[in-house]
Amino acid sequence: MAARAMTRGILGLRHSRAVTFGYSCGGSHYATAASIKPPPPQNEDVSDKIMKLPLEKPDFFRVSELFSLKDLFDARVHLGHKKGCRHRLMEPYLYGCRLDQDIIDLDQTVEHFQQALNFTAHVAYRGGIILFVTRRRQFGHLVETTAKDCGEYAHTRYWQGGLLTNAPIQYGPGVRLPDLIVFLSTLNNVFQPHVGIRDAAKMNIPTVGVVDSNCNPSLVTYPVPGNDDTPAAIELYCRLFKMTINRAKDKRRQMELLHSLSAPSTPS
Amino acid sequence: MATLCRLSGRCVLSSRLGLRFCSSSPLIRAFSSDSGSPDGALPSGGNKPSSSGTSDSPDPASDAPSPDRPLSGFAAAFQLQSSIRREAESSLAGDSASSPGQDQSFASLLRRSPLMQMGPAKDKVVVGRIFHVVQDDLYVDFGGKFHCVCRRPKDGEKLQRGGRVRVRIQDSELTARFIGAQTDTTLLEAQAVLLGAIEGKEGRSNMD
Repeated sequence: MAARAMTRGILGLRHSRAVTFGYSCGGSHYATAASIKPPPPQNEDVSDKIMKLPLEKPDFFRVSELFSLKDLFDARVHLGHKKGCRHRLMEPYLYGCRLDQDIIDLDQTVEHFQQALNFTAHVAYRGGIILFVTRRRQFGHLVETTAKDCGEYAHTRYWQGGLLTNAPIQYGPGVRLPDLIVFLSTLNNVFQPHVGIRDAAKMNIPTVGVVDSNCNPSLVTYPVPGNDDTPAAIELYCRLFKMTINRAKDKRRQMELLHSLSAPSTPS
Repeated sequence: MATLCRLSGRCVLSSRLGLRFCSSSPLIRAFSSDSGSPDGALPSGGNKPSSSGTSDSPDPASDAPSPDRPLSGFAAAFQLQSSIRREAESSLAGDSASSPGQDQSFASLLRRSPLMQMGPAKDKVVVGRIFHVVQDDLYVDFGGKFHCVCRRPKDGEKLQRGGRVRVRIQDSELTARFIGAQTDTTLLEAQAVLLGAIEGKEGRSNMD
């Protein structure tokens, strides 16, 4: 299903790219057979510009202004589990160990979080479906309300085995899978890696995940090393994801309005 | 250094020519603020004192400093002190201009945090806040990674959600390595003993 959606997207992109190449070489408009079809190329140009403009700047949505290191520190994002719970692959992300408690390096967290928020913003800008997943019952309601507030989806219950890998049969043919999965906690209730991480990797769906010091960050596309046990930290993450997604969607609406206003004014 | 060399060079030249009356003024001008000098290439060491009221400096060096010899005596001391003062002023201005705490590094934030200053968590008395109540169980958050769950004492009817309590921490996270396991098993909780409520505005006499 995702493969079919992907090929449709690629074909559409190729088609629009060919048309713009044909037109960009011309410059001014000649009275040839090519001038018979001006309206569709105009829309293709506009949609191309809408899609390409955010990619020109590294931080188009200015997500780095949404939070600071002090905010992360006050929300206790740097606190990890005890030394005995540490996962070997999390060692690069740790600042150190103080009295047997791991401390996560917030300098790295800031960079990773900015990249993750930037990616989330771009996915939301392009109208992608974002799925919030956590298996922590303490924060299930918070995550569900966060998803509802930004118009996206959440799955905080038991993960059925074939939810992503067997979707056409379980949910009917033609179901659209999420374009991004955000894990507020990458472990399930028995401290094993959540099945959704492996399934998303199988289905080529990028993932953003908050990885604590006892998690495995391997298969997560955009890991964010940070605390996933304290309510303050989870509230901070939810708030930031919600702000990012809303900001990206508002920007998209703004761009469409701007370009739909400017498109008829160009001479044909 | 270039400005000082230029003025001192002029002084040396004038003294060589026997004009002794102008030997002191170039040195005084060198020590005072030379904002009027059109020298574009200012030295990096900071030959330009920020305060202009330094023209009343005590008697300058009796011998004119040559451009090859480094500053010594009063000139060196004055340069050092003026650069220190300038750095102090700029750091003060920088702290008040930027929002407090925004430019602190993670290392300094961590070192000065109460969790680090506290040391080992065993038998430390801290103030917590009750954020959830289930009949007789009080869930107390005291600022660590996890909360602790304490049983309500016999006379603790007034301990409700949002109240502040004193607890003595036994362990900041309950973990243990069981036989045959790769990693520790964690309970996702801290352990603490409830000492009592923190008195609010009204003071009660017989409450613990």
